[in-house]
Amino acid sequence: MSTNLSINLKRVSKVYNEGETIAGVVVVESTGDLRHEGLTLAMEGFVNLQLSTKNVGIFEAFSNSIKPINLINTSMELVPPGKIPVGITEIPFEVPLRARQAVSPGYPGLLETYHGVFVNVMYVLKCNMKRSFLNKPVNASCQFFVQHKQQEPAPLKPVRCEITPSTIRASSTSSGGRATMPQFQIYAEIDTTVCPLDKPLTGKIRVDECSVPIKSIELQLVRVETCGCAEGYSRDATEIQNIQIGDGDVRRGRDVPLYMVLPRLFTCPTTTTVNFKIEFELNIAVIFEDDYLVTENFPILLLRSR
Amino acid sequence: MLAPQIMPVYYEWSSLKKQGCRKQECPRFELSSHPLKSNVTTMNDTTSTSKKIIESLNKWSSAFVEVDPLLRFEQLNTEDEISHIEVTNKGPNYSKTWSSKRSRILSKYTTGEKLTIISSFLPGGEKTLIRQVSNLNEKVKHRLEQLDDFDESSVRKTMGLSQQEFVVKINMLNEEIKKAWDTEQRVKAFKIGIQCSKLLSDVNVMQFYPSKFVLITDILDTFGNLVFDRLKFKSYGTVGVNNLQDIDPADVSELAKETCQNWLFKMASIRELLPRLYMEMSLLKCYLFISKNEIKPALVRLTKMIRGIGNPLVAAYLRVYLCHVASKILGKESEEIYYNNLKEFLCDYQQIFHQMMKKKYEGQLLTLDKYLNLYVPAVDWLLYGTLIDSSKCKDTLLEELLRQCEEIENNELLLCCVVSAFDSLSIIKKSLYILEMIEKDTDKMVLLNEILTSFGEHLSTAENYRHQSAETLIQTFWKVASNMKSAFHFLQVLEPWLQFACTHLSTQHVNIILRGTIRYMIKCGRPADEFSANFQFVVKRMLKSIPDVEELFLMDAFMPLVELVQTPNARTMMAKTVLSMFFSRYSSDCIEDPIIISSLMRLCTILHDSISAVTVEDESKLFADLINKYIQAVSYQDDFEQQLNFYVESRSAFIKLDAVLVTLVHAVNALSVRDTGGAGASAGGWLQRACAAYCFITVPSLHCALTKLHLYLLSGQVALLNNCIGQAEANFKALIGLIPDIPDYVLEDGQKKPTHIKVAGILSDFLSTLLILPDNLDSNCKVYILSGLIKTIERIHWKKTEPLYYSTLLRILDLLSELMQEKYAYHLDCVLSNDVLYGSESEFVSVIENYATNICQELLVVLKMLGDVKETKKQYNLALELFWRVIRRGDLHQGPMLSLGANLWMLSQKLQDSNNKLARTMLLSLENDNRPASKRLLQKLEENSKS
Repeated sequence: MSTNLSINLKRVSKVYNEGETIAGVVVVESTGDLRHEGLTLAMEGFVNLQLSTKNVGIFEAFSNSIKPINLINTSMELVPPGKIPVGITEIPFEVPLRARQAVSPGYPGLLETYHGVFVNVMYVLKCNMKRSFLNKPVNASCQFFVQHKQQEPAPLKPVRCEITPSTIRASSTSSGGRATMPQFQIYAEIDTTVCPLDKPLTGKIRVDECSVPIKSIELQLVRVETCGCAEGYSRDATEIQNIQIGDGDVRRGRDVPLYMVLPRLFTCPTTTTVNFKIEFELNIAVIFEDDYLVTENFPILLLRSR
Repeated sequence: MLAPQIMPVYYEWSSLKKQGCRKQECPRFELSSHPLKSNVTTMNDTTSTSKKIIESLNKWSSAFVEVDPLLRFEQLNTEDEISHIEVTNKGPNYSKTWSSKRSRILSKYTTGEKLTIISSFLPGGEKTLIRQVSNLNEKVKHRLEQLDDFDESSVRKTMGLSQQEFVVKINMLNEEIKKAWDTEQRVKAFKIGIQCSKLLSDVNVMQFYPSKFVLITDILDTFGNLVFDRLKFKSYGTVGVNNLQDIDPADVSELAKETCQNWLFKMASIRELLPRLYMEMSLLKCYLFISKNEIKPALVRLTKMIRGIGNPLVAAYLRVYLCHVASKILGKESEEIYYNNLKEFLCDYQQIFHQMMKKKYEGQLLTLDKYLNLYVPAVDWLLYGTLIDSSKCKDTLLEELLRQCEEIENNELLLCCVVSAFDSLSIIKKSLYILEMIEKDTDKMVLLNEILTSFGEHLSTAENYRHQSAETLIQTFWKVASNMKSAFHFLQVLEPWLQFACTHLSTQHVNIILRGTIRYMIKCGRPADEFSANFQFVVKRMLKSIPDVEELFLMDAFMPLVELVQTPNARTMMAKTVLSMFFSRYSSDCIEDPIIISSLMRLCTILHDSISAVTVEDESKLFADLINKYIQAVSYQDDFEQQLNFYVESRSAFIKLDAVLVTLVHAVNALSVRDTGGAGASAGGWLQRACAAYCFITVPSLHCALTKLHLYLLSGQVALLNNCIGQAEANFKALIGLIPDIPDYVLEDGQKKPTHIKVAGILSDFLSTLLILPDNLDSNCKVYILSGLIKTIERIHWKKTEPLYYSTLLRILDLLSELMQEKYAYHLDCVLSNDVLYGSESEFVSVIENYATNICQELLVVLKMLGDVKETKKQYNLALELFWRVIRRGDLHQGPMLSLGANLWMLSQKLQDSNNKLARTMLLSLENDNRPASKRLLQKLEENSKS
């Protein structure tokens, strides 16, 4: 006799706002009558923090203090102990998604689901079927995603910049010791640094002048994750995605649009809590034919807004 | 031959002399159908069978059509495409135009260079350079590599592919996508799509790029359709929607929307720009499931994002694909997208002439014109979509584009495409302006020939162009064209412009142009033969378009132009072209102008002289056909001498072609008859005699004995008609002399055909002519010619059981019976036949009777021989035929005849049932005959049958 347990959510996208009710069914599939000691459904949400390897040495002393931060943890009994008949049985459930009431200091509330390198925010529904003494309990789990409600759109904060040899800090490029820097003048513009997560990031770039052929123009989205507490912290910038917007030697004096769709799950609103921070930055990189690289960095603020 | 001793009984033939006034009571056969009616078989189920037949015929004939491998690929794909939803039923048919354009691209842009394909989904190929460097030792590395062979993520590079192999690989990828999709490996399909579009960033074999583009966009279309169809299925089930416009995001299930979003997110995270753009385009119609309003902004955005592609060739084709996708979704509304892309293209126009590109195409040994030609289909497509809306004011657009042409450097590409894309009417309106612009940049313009050609094509369609400006146009054109460096291009350009000149200018002008052409060709320093094909096109076009073909020959530059090509082969081709075009356009019945006659004579002589032992039969047939047309058309009206002279001349000129000689003989015979006008009073004037002599001399040079036979007969008959007895006799003698040489079979169209039916026909025609031929009184032999014929037949040992032999004998018997009549059945007005000549003189009659008896005897011998070799049916027929002659022509008062008739009847009855229709009719006619002799025979027959 085999038993199968699974959770199906009503909403296909599995995305929920705070205050909404998560509705779905627990499906029990059994080839025979099934006796059990009760079916429980638990909702868990937590933040996983990890330390980057390069900082491990310094942090070993207080590594213990980095424990998962619990965001939500509720549990309910779906079915009292009894018998489930042969075949497919669907048990509907509804769980309200609400932040904890009794707030401990440092509790950040319900954060948006986020998959990063050092910080992960995850929400899971877990279903557990207890069985009699000799039988193993049956478990099923299902991830769901939390998003904040959309706020009113923030005012646009456009930025413009010019990239010329003189604006480049000698230390910012890896091949800083280059004897002669090519002559170039590049103009870039980002429509707003306060970006709604559901909207693509837009702007434009124009190569007004460049004495050497350009190989590629790229747009790099970077996450900056900071973990730690008062004793010390680690701050790491890692690439989320890199998108080419210019391929080859583009025509001089033409506006090339910058356009990037922000990836789901790997981005979330810019977050600052007591224990960690998630921030985002944007790099515009111009790569010349000889792999010489010029970048310009823009910190951006991500929001869940219309 | 006539050996009576082998026959048991000897019957003397005696013919019945008919009373001249006696009404002929010819016995009749009852027939159900007319003997000349052709056989028509009516099929009841015509619709099904005939269709099947036609289909199978088509299948057979189409099997021989050599399909270009690229086109075959193309055909496969169009079949798929049909099943997909059409955007709009009304309005312009983009997909049709697209498929026609793409097949043209596939056939035009080909290469012999080696191609490279990079993919992880194809078997074989070397490992690419894109591999992680590891410090593992060799053994481990080798093992890992072996493992990698099964790992789809290892990217392989296959180099040195020929074009055809490349196509096969692409085809494989296309299949692979479908297979992956069907086996739920959707991400793999997606990856194939990305890899394919990456191939389009490779411009290493540039001249193949347009074709590569077409092949790869097919794959992308396939992928886009797969995604789209699945989403459609998810939201509408099997019912589906028939029209893209019917998809309402409100109806779309959440699941489908979510899937669609996933695809779009996946696409948006592709790192490289080119594949990302191509993939987004291929998935563009999926936006319909999310929101109707997103499509247009997305199109606008993509239009701008293409600016990021630095390589102008890649960018241009990317725009083509964007527009193609847009037209599939939006239909006619996509026009704006086309226009925007065109504008973008023009903004980036100078990028085409960028130093970097120059280095690239020169590195691939391409010339600038070849390189620019690569852009032509792309710009064409953009212009096509821009111009599709007829409501827009094309003239302003044209003006604007032309102004732009004037402003920018290197305007040839744009100008070339603009000129070919706009409709003729608009171009003609601006013709002077355009030509001026061309004139200004003549020296450095690269695609000059293409521009002028398509410009000329537009002009040549013009119905009425003001005469004044046509002249200036041509003058300016000539200034430009005569300075062109390549004679090849010059001729290419000349073709349409000459048509324009022919239709709009006077002959003098055309003549001047032709003279100029000759001068150019001589000056260019290379023999005209190198361009003979182009030359032919030019001449052909001219012949086609000039309002009156005859005028061409009246220009003094035309014939020299035609004869500019010198190699025999090219000259022949040219003469053939000119002649066939001339005759296809020539409307009146006869050619009278001496200049045209002599020019055509010259061309025909060229054709004739090119014939040699190695000439293909069909070719010489075609030549003969053309020359025949010429001979038949030439007419000197009433100047018969001139006409005959012409025929004499033609004979000497075209002696190699039998078919022409035959025509000549016929023509001369016709001439000979035409002169008398039917009234032979002049009794053989000099012309008639000359004509007869001509024929008599011409015929022997033919090869085919049958034709000779026929022509001798015909010429003899004509001579007889003109009362040239001597000539007629000569012809007939020649005919008889020829009979032994006739083969049993002749080769006709490669098949052996028996001759006896034709010979029998000719002989019976001949025999009936002999009835009126007056006897040669100089010879001491009566019925001189006939006796000659009989002697010849004796001499040539025909097989006696051959139907040809005995039926000829029967016919001779008929003739002999007729010859014995006091007044012959027919006469020629001016010719005194034997009835008048001899007046049934007894000596003459006895000679004839003697012949008849011998023939009859011989027939009896044949009858016996037929019985010996058990040819019952033939024997039966011959017996009946002979019986028929006995009762019809024989004098039944004579005892031998009576018994001969009775015996023949008995024989026939013995051989076969008397119920035979033929036999019964004969008996019936005998019964109806009131003559006592007939009654007696009937009586005898009845007695015999009883006993």
